[in-house]
Amino acid sequence: MISNDDVKKIAKLSYLKLNEEELQKMEKDFSSILDYVNKLSELDASKIEETANLSIDKNVFREDEPCDQNNEAILKLMPHTKNNYLEVKKILGK
Amino acid sequence: MIDLTKLTIKQARSGLDGKTFSSLELTKSFFDKIKDADKKINAYISLTEGLALKQAEDADKMIARGEASILTGIPCAIKDNMMVEGEKCTAGSKFLADYTAPYDATVIKKLKDRGAVILGKTNMDEFAMGSSCEKSAFFPTKNPRDLDYVPGGSSGGSAAAVASDMCVFALGSDTGGSIRQPASFCGVTGLKPTYGTVSRYGLIAYASSLDQIGPFAKNSEDCKIIFNEIKGRDKMDSTSMDVMTHADDFNIKNLKIGLPKEYFGKGLDKEVERSVKDAIAFYEKQGAQIQEISLPHTPYALACYYIIAPAEASANLARFDGIRYGEMVAPEKTDDLIDFYLQNRSIGFGQEVKKRIMLGTYTLSAGYYDAYYKKALKVRTLIKKDFDKAYEQVDVIMGPTSPCLPFKIGEKMDDPLAMYLADIYTVSVNLAGLPGISIPIAEVNGLPVGLQIIAPTLEENRLFDIAESFEKNYN
Repeated sequence: MISNDDVKKIAKLSYLKLNEEELQKMEKDFSSILDYVNKLSELDASKIEETANLSIDKNVFREDEPCDQNNEAILKLMPHTKNNYLEVKKILGK
Repeated sequence: MIDLTKLTIKQARSGLDGKTFSSLELTKSFFDKIKDADKKINAYISLTEGLALKQAEDADKMIARGEASILTGIPCAIKDNMMVEGEKCTAGSKFLADYTAPYDATVIKKLKDRGAVILGKTNMDEFAMGSSCEKSAFFPTKNPRDLDYVPGGSSGGSAAAVASDMCVFALGSDTGGSIRQPASFCGVTGLKPTYGTVSRYGLIAYASSLDQIGPFAKNSEDCKIIFNEIKGRDKMDSTSMDVMTHADDFNIKNLKIGLPKEYFGKGLDKEVERSVKDAIAFYEKQGAQIQEISLPHTPYALACYYIIAPAEASANLARFDGIRYGEMVAPEKTDDLIDFYLQNRSIGFGQEVKKRIMLGTYTLSAGYYDAYYKKALKVRTLIKKDFDKAYEQVDVIMGPTSPCLPFKIGEKMDDPLAMYLADIYTVSVNLAGLPGISIPIAEVNGLPVGLQIIAPTLEENRLFDIAESFEKNYN
C-alpha cells in the first residue's frame, strides 16, 4: 500500500505538483498498479541475467564531427533567447 | 471513375506509372476525402497540405523522367511523434502544441528521398501512452467502423486514417502494442518490426528499449514494401542494425504454428477466440501443423512492461521543463527554478503521462530499484527465453492481437488496469524485441478482429508470406 505522503514525495521527485483531487486519484491508481506489478515478486530470478538492450551487445562509436543543422529553427523553438543563446533562470547568487 | 483513395501501393504505382492519374490528382483526392470524412473521425492532428502538393508535383516530374521508385508519388500519413522538418510535431501533448520540427526523422528522410507524399500528422495518445487514442491532449479519434468506439492506441490516428481511406499507408510506433492493437481495432494490417531494424532518430522517445517504428497498410504486401524502404542501419541511432534478408523458401505445408496456451485463457473474449481459431483452422487446412506450446512467463509480461516502460519514460520526459520546450503560461510568476519546473510540468502533462512518470520515478528510486526495475530486467530475460525455446519447436506463433473487441469511447477511461490489459498479448513481443504483425481476419457485429503472428528475430519475410496466404486464399 502507498500513502498520501508517499505519493506527495514521489510527485516531488518527479518534479510534478499535484492538486488535492489529483493526489487522491493518483494514490488510488498507483496502489492498484503497484499491487499488479508486485506479481513479479512471485518469481525467483536471482540467478537470471538482466536484459536491458536487444539489438546490440557492445558500445557503438562514431567520429564526433560537426554537421550542418538548422540552428535558426532550433533557436526559434526556445521560449527565451538572448544573443543566440538559450536564456535560463538565475540559479546562483540568491 | 475509380475511387483513387481505395488503392493499395501496388495499384497506385501502376496507375501512376501508366499515367492513368498523376500524383497531384491522387493527392488532391485524398485531401477531398480527408476534408469530408475526418470531420467525424478526427484521425489527423494537422495536415501538411503545402508540403504534400509540392511533393506530389515533384513526384510527377520524377515519374515523367522515369526515375520513380516504388513509393514515388504515394500519399501517406505520419504519427505525430515523428519529425517532419518545418511541420508541427506535438506527440499528442500540450507541451509540444507549438513545436515545429527542426529536422526530419530518418524514416521521413527515407520517405522523402523516395518521393512519397506526406499528407499530415496523425492523432495519438499523449507521448504514445495509451491504448485508445482518448489520451491525446487535443481530441479523441473515432473508430471508422463505428464512431462510438475507440480506434485503439496509441497510434489510433494512423490506423483510422488507413481504415477510412484517408491515406494509402501510414507510419506508427509500437512500444507495447501501439501499432498492432489499433490495426486490429480498425481492421487494417500493422507491423511491429524487429527491435533495431528501423531507425528511431527523430521519433519522440517514450521507452527507448521498446520503441519501434512500423507501417500500417491495407494489406501485408504493402507493409512489406514500406518496411523494406524504411529499414536499415542509421548512424544517428546506435541501436539500429542492418537487416539480413532471408531467402524466400516459404511453404505453408511445412509450417509449424505454435499456439501458446497462455494466450487462450481467462480474459479472452469468446467471439475474438472463435474468430482466431477459425483463422488458425484455415492454416491447418492449408497443410500447416498446429501445435500447442507454452510461454510460461506470459502472466508476468504486463507487470514487467509497466515497470520498464514508465522507468524509461520518466528519464526520457525529464527534458520537458518549460525552458527548452514549450513554456506553459504559469498561473503564478516565480523566480524559483524548481517551482518553475513544477508549474510547467504540472500544466503541460496529462494525467496518464504524470502517472507513468511517477511510476518510473518510484521504481527507479533508492530502495526500490532492485525490487522493481532490476527485477523487471531479469523477468524480461525469462520472457525472451520462453520465445527462444518455443522457436526450437515451431516456426511462428499465433494468437489474438487483443483480448477484446474495440471498446466504447469512455468505457475504460477510469480504470487504468482495464485499459492496460488491452495490451496483454502484445507487450511480450516488445520485451523480447521480436517482429509481430496484426492482420484483419473477421468482424463481430461490424467490429474488426485481428490475428497476431509473431516470428523469430529478423524473420519479417515469414510474417509477410503467412499473412499473404490468408489474404489470398481465405474466403
